[in-house]
Amino acid sequence: MKRKKSKPLLLIFFAACFVGVGLSVCSYKVIQHTSTDEYCMSCHIHPMADASWQKSVHVNTKSGVVVHCVDCHLPPHENNEVEYLWEKSKAGIKDLWGFYTKDSASFDWEKRKQLAYAEKMVFNESCVACHKNLYPRGLSSEGALAHLYYEENAEKLNLQCIGCHLNVGHFDPNYKHESNMQLGAIEDTSSQIIHTEATIISSFANFTEKIPSTPVSFNMIAIPGGSFMMGSADNEAYRNIDESPLREVDLNPYYIGEAEVSWDEFLAFFNKTRSEGRIDPAVIMARNAGDDIDAVSGPTPPYGNPDQGWGYGKQPAITMTHYAAQMYCKWLSITTGKKYRLPTEAEWEYASRGGKEGPYFFEGETKKFTSDRFFNKIFGVDTTTINSYVVYALNSKDRTQTASASQANPFGLINSLGNVMEYCADWYAEDAYTQTPSKVSNPKGPSEGSEYVVRGGSFASDAKELRCASRDYTRSTEWLKTDPQSPKSIWWLSDCNRIGFRVVCEMPDAQK
Amino acid sequence: MSKKNTLSRRQFLSSAALAGAATTIGATSPILSSCAGGDSSTKAGAKQPIERLKGWRIPVLTDMAIDGATVRVGLVGCGGQGTGDIISLYSAASNIEIVALGDVVKDRLEGSRDRIEKETGQRVADDKCFVGFDSYQKVIDSGIDLVLLVTPPVFRSLHFEAAVKAGKHAFMEKPIAVDAIGANRILAASKMADSQKLCVATGTQRRHQRSYVEAFKQIADGAIGEITGGTVYWNQNMLWYRSREKGWSDMEWMIRDWVNWSWLSGDHIVEQHMHNIDVFNWFSGLKPASCVGFGARQRRVTGDQYDMFGVDYVFDNGVHMHSMCRQIDGCTSNVSEFIQGTHGSWNSANHEIKDLAGNVVWKWDSEKEKEDFKQTNPYVLQFVDLITAIRNKTHLNEAVDSANSSLLAVMGRESAYSGKQITWDEIKASSQNLLPENPEMGNMNMAQYKVPVPGEGKK
Repeated sequence: MKRKKSKPLLLIFFAACFVGVGLSVCSYKVIQHTSTDEYCMSCHIHPMADASWQKSVHVNTKSGVVVHCVDCHLPPHENNEVEYLWEKSKAGIKDLWGFYTKDSASFDWEKRKQLAYAEKMVFNESCVACHKNLYPRGLSSEGALAHLYYEENAEKLNLQCIGCHLNVGHFDPNYKHESNMQLGAIEDTSSQIIHTEATIISSFANFTEKIPSTPVSFNMIAIPGGSFMMGSADNEAYRNIDESPLREVDLNPYYIGEAEVSWDEFLAFFNKTRSEGRIDPAVIMARNAGDDIDAVSGPTPPYGNPDQGWGYGKQPAITMTHYAAQMYCKWLSITTGKKYRLPTEAEWEYASRGGKEGPYFFEGETKKFTSDRFFNKIFGVDTTTINSYVVYALNSKDRTQTASASQANPFGLINSLGNVMEYCADWYAEDAYTQTPSKVSNPKGPSEGSEYVVRGGSFASDAKELRCASRDYTRSTEWLKTDPQSPKSIWWLSDCNRIGFRVVCEMPDAQK
Repeated sequence: MSKKNTLSRRQFLSSAALAGAATTIGATSPILSSCAGGDSSTKAGAKQPIERLKGWRIPVLTDMAIDGATVRVGLVGCGGQGTGDIISLYSAASNIEIVALGDVVKDRLEGSRDRIEKETGQRVADDKCFVGFDSYQKVIDSGIDLVLLVTPPVFRSLHFEAAVKAGKHAFMEKPIAVDAIGANRILAASKMADSQKLCVATGTQRRHQRSYVEAFKQIADGAIGEITGGTVYWNQNMLWYRSREKGWSDMEWMIRDWVNWSWLSGDHIVEQHMHNIDVFNWFSGLKPASCVGFGARQRRVTGDQYDMFGVDYVFDNGVHMHSMCRQIDGCTSNVSEFIQGTHGSWNSANHEIKDLAGNVVWKWDSEKEKEDFKQTNPYVLQFVDLITAIRNKTHLNEAVDSANSSLLAVMGRESAYSGKQITWDEIKASSQNLLPENPEMGNMNMAQYKVPVPGEGKK
């Protein structure tokens, strides 16, 4: 009986061995086959990515080594075979799903070129698995210092190689890995009218400011004084604790920018004031201090392209520091003879509400607009009204838009709730409103702090962050984490591409 | 299964160290109670090696470096120290060719050239003698293998970076940085040196002094137990100064009088006392956390430096190290280090280790050293190690340790100057940069050089 039973067992054993070996060989072949560039490209229908890879330094290496798709887009299999197979399977399933259910022509390839997306697609451990020597002979002093900064801070600050070397896998003719000395190069302005003097305002009404000796102008909106309820009511959906208590605030009249400061405006400042060379930022800041200076020492050239490749001109200026925004206002004041500054948080909210209470200046509920809700994820989000007033996550294609993309609020402000987050003059404190809870006039926020108030959402925000009362603040460490310089730039942020500002102009004494 | 039983040895040692640092070392620690009052720490099995000190490089300290191909040498900075270093190097190895000299003032260069000729018989050719702030590059580019960088230390990072870029082995006289920017630049260049397998030594000659090396081995082996604290001293007579002479520009005067100007020397806590701070760093292997320092100027004649510093350094595990340095005539002198451990203490004044009862349990025998070796001068031995490493193509790079020790001294200086506590993270991230962008011989805004006064006046 025993022998009878053991025969099929033995057979099954051998068969299993045979199948096992066969499977192993097959799966090895499959893994190999599915890791070739040709295989990747057979499903990933993105000829532009293939072409940019062909042009990249990773194909055109000095040594002749070609770096393949899987070398960057999967973890290094030498380190951990299990993790490699796990990531490969995950990527494979996702790709199959995409291949059979989606139309690759509908993908936003511009969005996928950006760092935020690339970070999800590239394994940093794969970079360092090949690049074992970060200090090759011929590396510049700045390069060596930057790599030392990376080595000392990579873990603490979660730094990525592609944070500085985004173009190494896929060539981008517009990407700069150097100081941008050409930024703001004066175009031929012969066909444009160069303003000889700033606009003179004689009555309290909207006006167009002209920046003298430039062709640049921008619109300012007269905001009549008044009182409003600042903050959010207890029953407002998605409100945060820092928006309470709801309190009555009185404001004097002021002017505020119709739109966020554009690159045209900011680069006019940059061109007229730019600093060169190695001057200690402390010296620059001391020079720029005081209310009675007659010139501003402005920004040093940034590293790379601060517009993120989205264009200059009428696009909102971004990635400047709060200090740079303040110095812009100071320069503009000197240049125009008016008193420009960043808005206080109260001025910003009053102007953004346009006389309305509730979450937005337009009709609608956050509950219907937000993607952060289970039912909305299934049944879809209401975008009909919000779409025409704000540039935000669902309509932005993940980049800034010009002011013409959106309709104004009742006061005439464009995109204060979205497009880019906007600096305010106030220090941020979570309990800022409880510090002066009753009726207050022209509040200026806490007398000291470590981070500044930031208002309005951005092109990457969900609808709940676009509420008029929603508050946020600067992240001075995080927004400069990749900057390897010591001291770090006081002018440009290395790690925030969604911050800008709009200006306020105080009413001249003569009008008061 | 209580948590106590699962404490790792390392945790246990560090908590014992904390207990030792916080109270007088007494019978509360189980380690101490097992050996207090006796010399059991020297018995086999009682000693516990200090894990983090394992694997430290022990230098080659033979009488001479191994023979090999000619090493062509250039000197940048032809003062007494630089000239002395060349002569020490010449005594340390055969086949040393002194090729090029560079300095910012001609008479110093010529003096050095003559002395080198007298001591070594080699006279550097006219076309290989370079004068000026750019002479370092010319020396580096004059076909040498090894460059000695011995200018006032503020220039060290600039010169070292140039040497590494040109693929030269380097000897940097200590200190190798006077500010954080310089220290970072040294660290980055040091990584580039490693990637090219260049040898880098740093003039911390105590690391090449046999008495120190043997004491280090003892301590690493557990002879004084876990380290619980220390005091390091450089108290001596006033150093030299130069009065200004007719025809000297501000820059020339300051450079000739450099040990009295903080931007050039880093002040004497960095320039001189860094040696002793470096010994504590080396022997303890601990990472610094913060410090509070005092300082004052009472008798100095020229410059903007202090005469004395006293700094309380705290390391990551709570261990304190007190540093003191003074340059005033007629006071008690002491240049040494003292380190306390859970089993005993070591001092370099007598080069001995004592147990907790005060019995000497180990002592360096300098007489025996003289019997065993012909060469006992650490200034020469540091070059024996360097040239041997170059000829054997083995790894030698002291830049990282010396940059950290220099920066630790800078941290003490800045704390004394400001009156404020300074953390290691703060000094690492500091953007202080004392190196002028384009130094040249000429007059300067001398009002910028003021003796620092800490804190504020009474309001």
